[in-house]
Amino acid sequence: MSSFSQVSERLIFNNRPLVIILFIFATLVLAFQASRMQLDAGFEKNIPLNHEYMQTYMEHRKDFGGANNVLVAVCDKDSDIFNQYFFDTLKNVHDELFFINGVNRSLVVSLYSPSTRFTEIVEGGFAGGPVIPADFDSSNPIALETVAANIEKAKIVGRQVSNNYRCAMVTAQLLELDPETGEALNTLALADELETKLRGQYEDDQVSVHIIGFAKMIGDVATGAKFVVLFFAIAIVITAFMVYFFSRNIMLTVLPIMCSVIAVVWQMGLLTTLGFGLDPMSILVPFLVFAIGVSHGVQMINAVEKNVIKGNNAKQAAMTAFRALLIPGGIALLSDTVGFLTLLVIDIGIIRELAITASLGVAVIILTNLILLPVLMSFIRFPEHYLDRFAGKESKSEGLWHVLDVCTRKNTAITIVLVTGILFALGFVQSKQMQIGDIQAGAAVLHQDSRYNQDTALITDRFEVTVDYISVLVETTPEACTSYETMRAIDDFQWKMTNVDGVQSAVSLASVAKVVNAGYNEGNPKWQVLPRNQQTLVQAISRVPTSSGLLNGNCSVMPIILFMEDHKAQTITRVVDAVKDFRQQYQTEDTRFSLASGPVGVMAATNEAVQAAQTPMMMYVFGAVIILCLLSFRSLRATISVVLPLYVVSVLAQALMTYLNIGLTVYTLPVIALGVGIGVDYGIYILSTMNGLIKQGMSVEKAYLEALKERGSAVLFTGITLAIGVSTWVFSSLKFQVDMGILLTFMFLVNMLGAIVVLPALARLLWFNRSEK
Amino acid sequence: MRKSISSVLLLLVSFALHAEQSYQAPLVKESLLLDIASGDITVAVGERGHVLIKRADSDFTQVTVPTQSTLTAVTLVGEHIWAVGHDAIILHSSDGGEQWQVQMYQPELERPFLDVMFFDSRRGLAIGAYGLFYQTSDGGNTWESVRHAEFLNPYDREYLEEIRQEDEEFYQLELNSILPHLNRINRGQNGTLLIAGEAGLLAMSDDDGQSWQRLESDYTGSFFDFVQLDSGLMVAAGLRGNILVSEDGEQWETLQTCNTATLNSIITGQNKLSFIGNNGVMVKASLPLKTSSFDPYAAPTLNCEPAAGVSVSQTESKSALLNAVSVDGQTVVTAADGIYSLSLD
Repeated sequence: MSSFSQVSERLIFNNRPLVIILFIFATLVLAFQASRMQLDAGFEKNIPLNHEYMQTYMEHRKDFGGANNVLVAVCDKDSDIFNQYFFDTLKNVHDELFFINGVNRSLVVSLYSPSTRFTEIVEGGFAGGPVIPADFDSSNPIALETVAANIEKAKIVGRQVSNNYRCAMVTAQLLELDPETGEALNTLALADELETKLRGQYEDDQVSVHIIGFAKMIGDVATGAKFVVLFFAIAIVITAFMVYFFSRNIMLTVLPIMCSVIAVVWQMGLLTTLGFGLDPMSILVPFLVFAIGVSHGVQMINAVEKNVIKGNNAKQAAMTAFRALLIPGGIALLSDTVGFLTLLVIDIGIIRELAITASLGVAVIILTNLILLPVLMSFIRFPEHYLDRFAGKESKSEGLWHVLDVCTRKNTAITIVLVTGILFALGFVQSKQMQIGDIQAGAAVLHQDSRYNQDTALITDRFEVTVDYISVLVETTPEACTSYETMRAIDDFQWKMTNVDGVQSAVSLASVAKVVNAGYNEGNPKWQVLPRNQQTLVQAISRVPTSSGLLNGNCSVMPIILFMEDHKAQTITRVVDAVKDFRQQYQTEDTRFSLASGPVGVMAATNEAVQAAQTPMMMYVFGAVIILCLLSFRSLRATISVVLPLYVVSVLAQALMTYLNIGLTVYTLPVIALGVGIGVDYGIYILSTMNGLIKQGMSVEKAYLEALKERGSAVLFTGITLAIGVSTWVFSSLKFQVDMGILLTFMFLVNMLGAIVVLPALARLLWFNRSEK
Repeated sequence: MRKSISSVLLLLVSFALHAEQSYQAPLVKESLLLDIASGDITVAVGERGHVLIKRADSDFTQVTVPTQSTLTAVTLVGEHIWAVGHDAIILHSSDGGEQWQVQMYQPELERPFLDVMFFDSRRGLAIGAYGLFYQTSDGGNTWESVRHAEFLNPYDREYLEEIRQEDEEFYQLELNSILPHLNRINRGQNGTLLIAGEAGLLAMSDDDGQSWQRLESDYTGSFFDFVQLDSGLMVAAGLRGNILVSEDGEQWETLQTCNTATLNSIITGQNKLSFIGNNGVMVKASLPLKTSSFDPYAAPTLNCEPAAGVSVSQTESKSALLNAVSVDGQTVVTAADGIYSLSLD
């Protein structure tokens, strides 16, 4: 290993100008690429497409539409909706939404769509028509009265008209591909159009426009994400200030920060080159890369500075530092990279993107901060009186190191390990309570008082049927809807599901056919049954168009739509379990009750995938760290000393998530893995020094003291600096960023404490035979 | 009276095949419930074989019965309960709802029973779609099918008589398919029976249902309930909210309510009548009724004014109301969205 360092050292430091030219060239190219980087959001990236439910969803999406809906509630602020201004505005909103690129035009539904019809029963049979007649004149009060009466007859109050008659709904489904270009739909552009063309144009003193749906949510996240740049800037300024305080030298401040920024630029450039965009939900990853870069950069300047103090010139100091840090730094970064790469096994697009984004970023730090940084530092000219500035510093910190060294005393070590064990046990219990999926109504990534979540609250409050539904797709033979047995099975199954706690109501072709059958019998509820007579059954079903979404063209697929009280994970689990239980009774060889479609169907699949991924992800990440530690330290005890505190912290982080009511979603799942990536640096730097010294026969106490002298200040400094940087995120307008800010602050600090308190205590107990007498 | 006696039904064999049990549903009280009857106990029936029984000092609870067919009507005689419904089912319990037997189940008929009444614990009538008319004199152990051509309107009757001259068999076939739905059977005054049915059918019997006379009201829409008050006044209610009133069964007048929702049941009260129907409509009319002349062909007027003493209201859920009884001083209604108490004052 050390020969590898020496060869690398010679290769690099003998060709310093060339190295710098190569880096400048690469940075220029990648900076150009990075400048073309775009935010990129897609609905399907958030879905485990290969999950069983999603296979069903994809298969039937053409017939029954997707789960990517947009709901626009247009509300009158002062009165009910029956006035000319409101109806004119509603028509404009409908038309505007219809023409927005990416909207599935056949599935735009509002009072104005021709598919919104009413039927009533009269002596001669059925009478009916569109709720808004073709000759509707909004300026005519009688026409408005007719529409009001038709709305009652159509029984759409609660769905298309709010319960208090002050809002009307326009709903649309979004296409996955842009019909104009044939490429993936630009969701963010669409979200922008929703904001400007609908709300921007039509919200005024009299009418308010409320928009919800995945596209709008991610659009709002992207808008908020633009401010993330500001928080980056704040974090960089804070870090720079702290580094200057640490190094007392402008160049030593500028260089590590510059190298870390270069790492971010490279990462973004490489991503663009590979054809990826940056998802708004992954926008924090570049900052993590910067943070990890700073962490390693500080180690590097710390080592250089120490060598300079010993009397070496800049070049010698840089070379020594390079040689000393290439292995531990490289191991730490490599284990990060491999750890992040293991996230690729999770079959959800956005997590895979994050795996690529993060591992690329960490891998380039090896180049920028372990190679470029020492090379650049070798050119620094330290002022003559530079050394004087540190005269007091070493002895000042010396005191702290002796205090910390107490951790390696036997009794203290036992106490520390015991306390850690108790914390771990408490954290473990708490972390098991972690909720899967969204905990609140609305979007968890946005603040509760954000416009989006206010709109969600308004719509769920004023309307009965919103986006919280799951469809069970009955897949059977063509024309099966004319079979009494099949329809009866659907009807019985639906009734059992309606009785499940959490299901608010349900609808299927069978339940509609029963109502139609009553309609054919003069609206007499006593005839609200499925007719056994096939002709009568066909007659009833023939009145249900495929546009109802209750059957496909040849009625070989019929969804049972279950409207849910909410989309909390446990509600979803209960309903899905009930489906799996009840369907056994009704499934036959050629009639299957398949899960699932609808927004909650997607959530069910995502929740299951996330839950299933949680344990493997941790195993892979820790597996990578363990293997790399074993390879580099060639010591089981060293590996345990590094990994165990890391694991405790990740469990505590999960407990913190539970405590903060952060559900485990596709967005929060990788955070723990990222936290491991951040935390592993400290342990590896401290232990690589200790490990070498212990192997040379030094006691754990002395080895730890030496490690602290050599690298302790850098570890402490990094943890505190980065924690301060991310703690500013609590002021973010994105709830997601606030949550991440708290979690990352916790992990920066507690991992640092783990490395300087728990790690030496563990080492002391593991190398029990290597202590001072 | 013409009747054709079908073979006495020995149904035990088919019952053995019909082994399904009603599903105990948590939401049974919010399910479609179609009829309610009260005596010592109160019984409500509805979709999927739902039967709810309320005994003194307890709430309605679902009992398990040996069917999932939709039950449309129920009647009580002491501890005896008969419930009838789709698949031509007749259920019976002789112990207040503990044990149930299926007395008839003929899904192949594809005709539902729509109402049932018993004179005592032995003699009873069950009526339903397409003139379905069964009678028993042994508490339902055996049921006899009868076809009453008297339910036909005069025009159809004349046509059928012509057929009969030529071909008795074809006549029976035609009669079987041409008879109107019989929606409701009630006791009138002085031992009479009243039936309300499809396409303007109102009929009366004064020999316990052995023969029937059709009453002509000039209205061709369906009636869903038909009652006779103590005063002898006959009141029928039905499709599109029509309420027809007659003192003699020949001259009919209407009670203008301006409501166009179908009325399903008439509830008689002290000095007033209440009508409940689809869309959660409740019509209250104080007695005596202020009727007006009936023109079945009148176009709906734009500015409708209800008659004096009439008020119309709607439940919040706007679900169809089917029937109501008075239990412990409260009016309990069965409706498309379940069973609940309702104020008809």
